[in-house]
Amino acid sequence: MDITETKHDNYSVFKLNGRLDSNTAMGFEQKLFECIEGGNQKLILDFKDLDYISSAGLRVILKATKNLKNADGKLVLCAMQDYVKEVFEISGFDSFLPIVPTIDEAVKTI
Amino acid sequence: MVQITFELKNRLADLDVLCEHLASFCDNCGITKKQKFEINLALDELFTNIINHGFEDDAEHKILVTCAHNEKIVEITIQDDGIPFNPLEAPQPDLECTFNDREIGGLGIHLIKAYIDQIDYRRDSDMNVLKLTKILKQ
Repeated sequence: MDITETKHDNYSVFKLNGRLDSNTAMGFEQKLFECIEGGNQKLILDFKDLDYISSAGLRVILKATKNLKNADGKLVLCAMQDYVKEVFEISGFDSFLPIVPTIDEAVKTI
Repeated sequence: MVQITFELKNRLADLDVLCEHLASFCDNCGITKKQKFEINLALDELFTNIINHGFEDDAEHKILVTCAHNEKIVEITIQDDGIPFNPLEAPQPDLECTFNDREIGGLGIHLIKAYIDQIDYRRDSDMNVLKLTKILKQ
């Protein structure tokens, strides 16, 4: 999986390309938490090119969401493929995570 | 009917091997992209569960996977010699609880149950034998 991080003035965008599973979740967690610990507390995850997610990926997102909530930060997810979105719905994660259709809407929401 | 059998070892790197075998199996059977995703996710959750919790020693173990496609049904059998584990008896995660109480445990099994139509477990001598049946809807 490729992860591209783009820093903006008051938020960062992580664009994921490929598969977020048990093999790639740890690398993603490290990058995400480096960013959070570096003081960047507003994050957008762009899932446009994410083909796959398992519970290992959900675990990282839950951990980051809890961490950011304590720090008054925010995490917004966008541009999910339908079957990736379904995983969030089945897991009940859509009840506490903002999931929007496009990156533009994510930028407005953050 | 299309059938393949392959062997995995109890190491995370073999998750990629699992996905490659499944991808070629699904392509050979003309299974849709969405169904392929669902079958892959169920098998991924099961495999990672087995390698993370199934073995009490550090030895190498084999996990045998058989996939069979027959018209509208895909049957996948997974056999491992780990500790007895019946996913059907695993506790359900609480999906309704408040966000702060949300935990990730049990979510993998929950996803398997969501994407697989029938799950049959049996303990056969020292082996866990789990059969997953997915009905391919149009």
